[in-house]
Amino acid sequence: MRILLAEDDVDTVEFIETCLVNLDHVVSSASCGEQALLLACSSPWDLIILDRMLPELDGLTLLRTLRGRGVTTPVLMLTALGRIEDRVDGLDAGADDYLVKPFAPAELVSRVQALGRRYAQGGIATKLRAGPLEIELIAREVRRDGRVVTLQPREFRLLEVLMRQAGEYVTRTMLLEQVWDFHFDPQTKIVETHMSRLRAKLNEGGLPDLIETARGSGYRIRAT
Amino acid sequence: MKFGSGSAATRIALWGWLAFAVATLLLGVAVYFAAHTAFSRQIDARIEQATTALLIEYHDDGVRGVQSALDQQGRNRPIGLGTALFDGRGTRIAGNLAIPLAQPGWRNIVFNDPGEGREKARAHVTALPGNHRLVVAADLESLEAIDHTILAMFGSAVVVLLLLGLVAAILLARYLRGRLAGIETTANAIIDGDLEQRAIVGSAGDEFDRVALSLNAMLDRIAGLIGNLRQVTADLAHDLRTPLSHLRNHLERMRGRQSLTDASASIDEAVAQADNVLALFDAILRISELEEGSLRRAFTVVDLSALVSELGETLVLLAEDERRSLHVAAGSGVSIQGDRELIAQALTNLVENALRHTPPGSVITLQVRCDDGDAVLTVNDNGPGIPEGDRERVQQRFVRLEAARSAPGHGLGLSLVRAIAQAHGATFSLGDAGPGLCAEIRFPKRITA
Repeated sequence: MRILLAEDDVDTVEFIETCLVNLDHVVSSASCGEQALLLACSSPWDLIILDRMLPELDGLTLLRTLRGRGVTTPVLMLTALGRIEDRVDGLDAGADDYLVKPFAPAELVSRVQALGRRYAQGGIATKLRAGPLEIELIAREVRRDGRVVTLQPREFRLLEVLMRQAGEYVTRTMLLEQVWDFHFDPQTKIVETHMSRLRAKLNEGGLPDLIETARGSGYRIRAT
Repeated sequence: MKFGSGSAATRIALWGWLAFAVATLLLGVAVYFAAHTAFSRQIDARIEQATTALLIEYHDDGVRGVQSALDQQGRNRPIGLGTALFDGRGTRIAGNLAIPLAQPGWRNIVFNDPGEGREKARAHVTALPGNHRLVVAADLESLEAIDHTILAMFGSAVVVLLLLGLVAAILLARYLRGRLAGIETTANAIIDGDLEQRAIVGSAGDEFDRVALSLNAMLDRIAGLIGNLRQVTADLAHDLRTPLSHLRNHLERMRGRQSLTDASASIDEAVAQADNVLALFDAILRISELEEGSLRRAFTVVDLSALVSELGETLVLLAEDERRSLHVAAGSGVSIQGDRELIAQALTNLVENALRHTPPGSVITLQVRCDDGDAVLTVNDNGPGIPEGDRERVQQRFVRLEAARSAPGHGLGLSLVRAIAQAHGATFSLGDAGPGLCAEIRFPKRITA
């Protein structure tokens, strides 16, 4: 992906570039708002990573300007402000996702991949497939090798999120946001509890585990 | 004009005094003119009356009649009135008034009083047939005397009143300064660092006392906030030391490691410890954001029954994994104005708290109900509970009871719940579930939806 990074802190720029370049993304960076706006409008990007506090033109204004000019490139907003109002403001301005600093590399990578994929997929899928797994989003039906697996609504949603990102890691925070709509850390094992039940149901009868867990990265369902 | 710059009290008093002086002066001038006009009219009326009487004589007996009337008056004339009759050649043929001939109409004249010299008079000249002229004049001495009396009276009154006003202004200014000085002294003492100082409140209950009361209430509030801030800062510094020194120790130990696998385990541990510190910060920031009370703008209708039954599904499993059981009673249709996610966070915290501080096998109940119009959320357990004396204390930041020292957490969970309740205008309380703990969030009737 071609990624535009609008960030003024040199350390953060370096950190993000290291994280993304390893995944074969091309990252160009802008250190002030005006420059970022110019770059964002002058060539096509697959993703814009935008810091909320930029010199000259702050991230929120920049984003509103971009959306006002009809630029629909997905935007991941970065911020040092973790307040509820800040997140709401960011999403209202047209951000597709929001990440509070400091963040783990896995958190950034997973979100970048998810945004890139969401953009590439375009249309609305009604059926998702990953290896032996198949889910019907409208009928809310799950099959493994053609055999129906019965899931609770929350487990279904969990599987759906993993399958939309099949092949990529999805972090615990992203699962909390997308499955439970929690934008806080509940300090509980909610995700783990549900994941172990989902696994048990999918692997019933001693089948091999389809969900991988990586410490610090999250969960991944194999694409094939 | 600039009076007593630097002292509003003096300025107000002086302006008051000035207004008073101007009012007195205007009153004096008005009285003077009113009296002067009234007396002038009265004099004119007397002249007219005398003229009419003489004209009646003329009507009856002609010039001769007037002459004889004037001659009679010469011996017995009314006080302050003078008369004269001139013939066609301008010679005075009767009367006592030694003046030259004047044109008919009202005249202000000067005549020679044999006893007192030249004096001002008011005269009316009437033309009679045969070019005769009749002059009736009144001495203005009495009018001048009255004018003088009025002027003297008001003059001295003005001087006395102005002096009194000035004294009153000075006293008022001194009084105002005195009353305000108490507040000023308190403020200065606080500026100098004595935060315990309070303004003295008098017994009159007037505006100064009310200002002093409000000021003291404000100072109490500020002192409370500062105390809270100091406490939090001290607690924060203390609470951060532990995880940060653990982190530091880990990093120190890693220095000596040769094997990569050993180091990687230590790195994981160090990252977890750093995350722990960040989580602590997040919780503190969230609490302070809630305490600001600015979130209420974004509140919407939240169906508590639906939220509890939905969240309950997740929490039941969590409890099951922790070998405790959770019963959920969601009721139906209980709604409030609020933030769905914050209430979910509060409930998760309360259930997590119950899981953490009860022995395995305990029973926890999550309930939403309507109580006399109030919407009430409760989380009960049948564990050891919290002694009555500690129930208020555990809701404060960083407070952890001895019994819970070994369990994970920062002592922020319950203060976060309380902050969430307060941000919703609800009350949070801990009680005895007999046995166990009963945590209750009560949304008053007015915010239920």
